[in-house]
Amino acid sequence: MVSADFVMKIGLNHYLILSAILFSLGMVGVLLRRNAIVMLMSIELMLNAVNISFVSFGRYNNNIDGQIMVFFVMTIAAAEAAVGLALAVSIFKRFKEVNVRYFEHLKG
Amino acid sequence: MTADAFLFWFLALVTIGGGSLVILMRNPIYSALALVFTMCGVSALFVTLGAYFVAGVQLIVYAGAVMVLFVMVLMLFDLKHEIEAFAKGQISGAIKILSGGLLAGIVGGAILASTKLSSPTDAAGAAVVDPSKALGYKLFTQHIFAFEALGVLLLVIAVGAVALARSKGGTHGQR
Repeated sequence: MVSADFVMKIGLNHYLILSAILFSLGMVGVLLRRNAIVMLMSIELMLNAVNISFVSFGRYNNNIDGQIMVFFVMTIAAAEAAVGLALAVSIFKRFKEVNVRYFEHLKG
Repeated sequence: MTADAFLFWFLALVTIGGGSLVILMRNPIYSALALVFTMCGVSALFVTLGAYFVAGVQLIVYAGAVMVLFVMVLMLFDLKHEIEAFAKGQISGAIKILSGGLLAGIVGGAILASTKLSSPTDAAGAAVVDPSKALGYKLFTQHIFAFEALGVLLLVIAVGAVALARSKGGTHGQR
């Protein structure tokens, strides 16, 4: 499948596949890791993967709306990180631990 | 090999390697470091796509602000003794990794199989004359409502994050 053409000519496909791989890495991170902060980092990874595909679609369709969408995604991601970390601090104060194993029963 | 292709493969290596290290490192600080590498790689990918302003914002907001926030919170916790960094269970872990690989494979296969995309596109034809200017113009005319709504959202988030971090946690604790 890997032909010389695939290696030499970079097109929309390449960026989209890279984005898909990064997104899957983030998904595996959320599923596999137990540390709440590393799970948040994996979510950031997924949002970045989506940003790559937005920008590359915008580039190859000569449309700048993709980049505007990336702005919005970045802002929401920053807000999400702030709230997630505030929650992590709050959880750490109560449980002295950010490993999800210790607060998996949703007890008060 | 042309410079474009080399740059893309190098950046792909950086981003995917960084992303893998994020989920493989046992120490969260190393994960944060790997995430910074990934963010820088993604920012460079934006440059190769001609989105210079977005690349700058990516570096400032993600690699700068968000990662500093992550590292500060990590330093706040004393997590030298990370126990059970990964979920337990060999079989469920294998299923999780498999499902991640399956997702990437299905999406990648769909991208490769779609004939509309697979033709090597002309390198984005005539690029916009001044992308940043066009971007700002469009943002402040066509998407002005979403922009203002984001401003309100950020204010709410700033207040909410402080309130949340000050609380003791839990819903029926003693205040």
